[in-house]
Amino acid sequence: MTQLVPHIFNGLTLGLLFALIALGFTLIVGVMEVINLAHGSLFALGAYFALAIIGGSWLGDTAIGEWWLALPIMPRYILALIVAPILAGLSGMVLELALRRTYGKAPLYGLLLTFGAALVIEELIRLGWGTGEQNLQLPQSISGAILLGGLIYSKYKLFAAGFAVFAIIMVWLFLEKTPYGAIIKAGAHDSEMVRALGYDLARLRLLVFGLGAGLAGLAGVIMVPIWGLRPHVGIDVVIPAFLIIVLGGIGSFWGSVIAAILVGLSVGITGAYAPAWSMMSMYILLILVVGFRARGLFGKKSALEN
Amino acid sequence: MATLSDITRRSSQWITPQIFVFAVFLLSLPLWIRPIGLYQYIGIEIAIWIIFALGFNLLFGYTGLHSFGHGAYLGVGAYAFGLFQLHVGVSLIGGLLAAVFAAALAGAFVACFVSHRRGIYFALMTIAFGQVFWFASIKMHGITGGEDGLLNIPRPDLNLGVYSVSLSGNTALYYLIAVLLIIVTVFTWRAMNSPFGRILQAIRQNETRASFIGYEVWWFKWAAFTLSAMFAGLAGGLFAMAQESAYPDVMSLHQSGLIVMMVLVGGGLVNFWGPILGVILYFIARDVLGSITETWLLWYGLMFVVMVMFKPEGLAGVLAGLSKNSAETLNDLPVKTAEGN
Amino acid sequence: MALFEARNIHKRFGSRVVLENISLSFEEGQVNGIMGPNGAGKTTCFHCLTGHYKPTRGNIIFDGQDITGKPPQRISRMGVSRSFQLMNLFDDSSVIENIILALPDFRRRYAQATRSVFDDRELLEQARVILDQVGLLGQEWLPSLSLSYGNRRALEIGVALAANPRIVFLDEPTSGLGAEATRQLASLINKLRSKYTIVMIEHDMRFLFELADTISVIHWGQVIAQGTPDELQSNKWVQRSALGEVA
Repeated sequence: MTQLVPHIFNGLTLGLLFALIALGFTLIVGVMEVINLAHGSLFALGAYFALAIIGGSWLGDTAIGEWWLALPIMPRYILALIVAPILAGLSGMVLELALRRTYGKAPLYGLLLTFGAALVIEELIRLGWGTGEQNLQLPQSISGAILLGGLIYSKYKLFAAGFAVFAIIMVWLFLEKTPYGAIIKAGAHDSEMVRALGYDLARLRLLVFGLGAGLAGLAGVIMVPIWGLRPHVGIDVVIPAFLIIVLGGIGSFWGSVIAAILVGLSVGITGAYAPAWSMMSMYILLILVVGFRARGLFGKKSALEN
Repeated sequence: MATLSDITRRSSQWITPQIFVFAVFLLSLPLWIRPIGLYQYIGIEIAIWIIFALGFNLLFGYTGLHSFGHGAYLGVGAYAFGLFQLHVGVSLIGGLLAAVFAAALAGAFVACFVSHRRGIYFALMTIAFGQVFWFASIKMHGITGGEDGLLNIPRPDLNLGVYSVSLSGNTALYYLIAVLLIIVTVFTWRAMNSPFGRILQAIRQNETRASFIGYEVWWFKWAAFTLSAMFAGLAGGLFAMAQESAYPDVMSLHQSGLIVMMVLVGGGLVNFWGPILGVILYFIARDVLGSITETWLLWYGLMFVVMVMFKPEGLAGVLAGLSKNSAETLNDLPVKTAEGN
Repeated sequence: MALFEARNIHKRFGSRVVLENISLSFEEGQVNGIMGPNGAGKTTCFHCLTGHYKPTRGNIIFDGQDITGKPPQRISRMGVSRSFQLMNLFDDSSVIENIILALPDFRRRYAQATRSVFDDRELLEQARVILDQVGLLGQEWLPSLSLSYGNRRALEIGVALAANPRIVFLDEPTSGLGAEATRQLASLINKLRSKYTIVMIEHDMRFLFELADTISVIHWGQVIAQGTPDELQSNKWVQRSALGEVA
């Protein structure tokens, strides 16, 4: 049993990271009932933007470029952590504008459109950054290892997990405690009411999509030092995210957080006994849960069932 | 908007004029494919993928069940064909039967789980199962050869009793696949106008009403899924034979997505011939655009996005829109039945 | 014994009680009306009787067999048919195909995958008989979506009849119909009464009182009155709503 503890800990960490990945996805599904299959690609895009900001090679041999590269890594990283998600969010907004054509049609069309968008973004990334594996530079203070209770942990993983908790709480507070959150939640169930309150539903959707895409980009910046950065990382990400929100129940915020942790634990614990099969365990988990509970753990009825 | 089921009256012939034209096109292809600048192997790929696409559209277009994990059954067919050749015996019929049977088994099993699910839940369950098969094909080294897959799968001869035909040449193999494709086309056309097929289309349109007029909806969904997996298995077996190998990539999500894109771009949601147009367009785009630019997938992806936005009826819808006449040839000629009206 | 009987049906959604102790009984060959205000539970009641919902408590007996909790397709195959208040057709399909799909002779061929439907004279003929009954002959090859509202209502009934049922449930057949279409529907129901047992939810009281052999009034999820039209003329609730709705 005691040997299991580090695996459980690893699983929990992984689960929090999964929750971070699924956060933007949950938001968009919950409010707009759109499955954004480009979520993973926006995640990748965020990470590549961060890469470009930290690397700064596009600034060229100019004075600004030299000044920028002479700065220590920390301020560059912090800027990337802020600006890259914003850029991803803006890209998401462009996608939302295209997506408008599919509103009012079967959910299939939104799914297909974002699927095509994922392909396009991935190809654009190949075009812009090449096909090879890349690395995101990290500040010294969050790299390396740390000794905890006689076990070695990667400092960065702890930072990432902590950041995930922070982001989850911030999004939750935003949805629950601010007037914007109230409007967004109203938009999820009652678009009439949003109009009655005098808000522009189209703009609300644009902002929610931008926010969701921004969160995807943020997750990208945070996750990529752990998972590595390559153009098709998007596919590796979107499937677990999709799986987590269905497992948790479409439209349920905490459902998806709990599902993410369950998935993390199952991957972590399977990893202890059969490392080769660890990623497969999440699919089995999904099949078992959704096989018996059609709407996942905490799901409500949704238009996406049609 | 044109739809798959908006028929007025359909011919009850086995071979409709369109099928005849298509068969002539397929059988004459080796005569003109090189002169137009293509090569024989692309004909093989196109024919195999059309088999896959026609079977897939029974489920996707006709029954309205949006599977995003259909590459799995293509892969199961490919592995079954390879394993049969390598471990049981070199036999064309045996290999293809094994491919169809294995895919049917896998499809029937998965269908038990998914045929009670709807919409997005259905789509996700099919993805999850697709990933399970893909993972299994990578991890079960002993059977599947892991990431490398099964290599050096022999191309068995076609044994016609008295004489046997070698299929080692691509033209001979193409003819075999073309004949199978014609049979598949005739069967799928017939099936979609049979009681079974019409019930599937009724279920797509209105599941509730279908159960209120007495149909066990889940059984039909199960059967459609299994049937379409069988076609995927046949295509997979032929693919393994053409490639002389079977590897996990065939099962990847990428392939599953590709078939969805091809079927939609061609117009599979509104027309029987849509999947065929879609497959041909994809392979031509891959080779023609691919020879001009390395980023051809970007352009294909953009075209797909634009299609979903502005013309979800796909290429078949575009063609139908171009002229009323072509709309009629595409949408099945209205045929006067004998008793008239 | 009654052909179709509901005994003490209760239906709850969570804590909300929608039907409370509903008992209904329909004799073979009669036209039975169900009336009551909006939200009284009439459609829920139909959903329970035809298998769409499973009642929380109580039994449903059809032709001596307990059909409580059976799925709609089983109940339908036993000879219980229904139409829907909101249109519920196969919109892409032609009018005649909507009918053909519901024919028992067609249903028995469900596993045939290589025989074309469209050269089956016998099925086409059976479907025409039904279409003739509901007045849609001549429009059989139109897409059902292109029919006028009244004709779609007629097709809705045609689909219910095509299953060759012993009892037909019609959910507000006159809703949205003009005076002329309502008269046509009344004469259709008069034609059908010799062949089928009919149960209909209806708001149009004149229509109902003219056609029905028995009427049940549902209010607050309960049957508050039951009887022949004559008996019910004196019922308070009926009088009140008659003043409001008909006069």
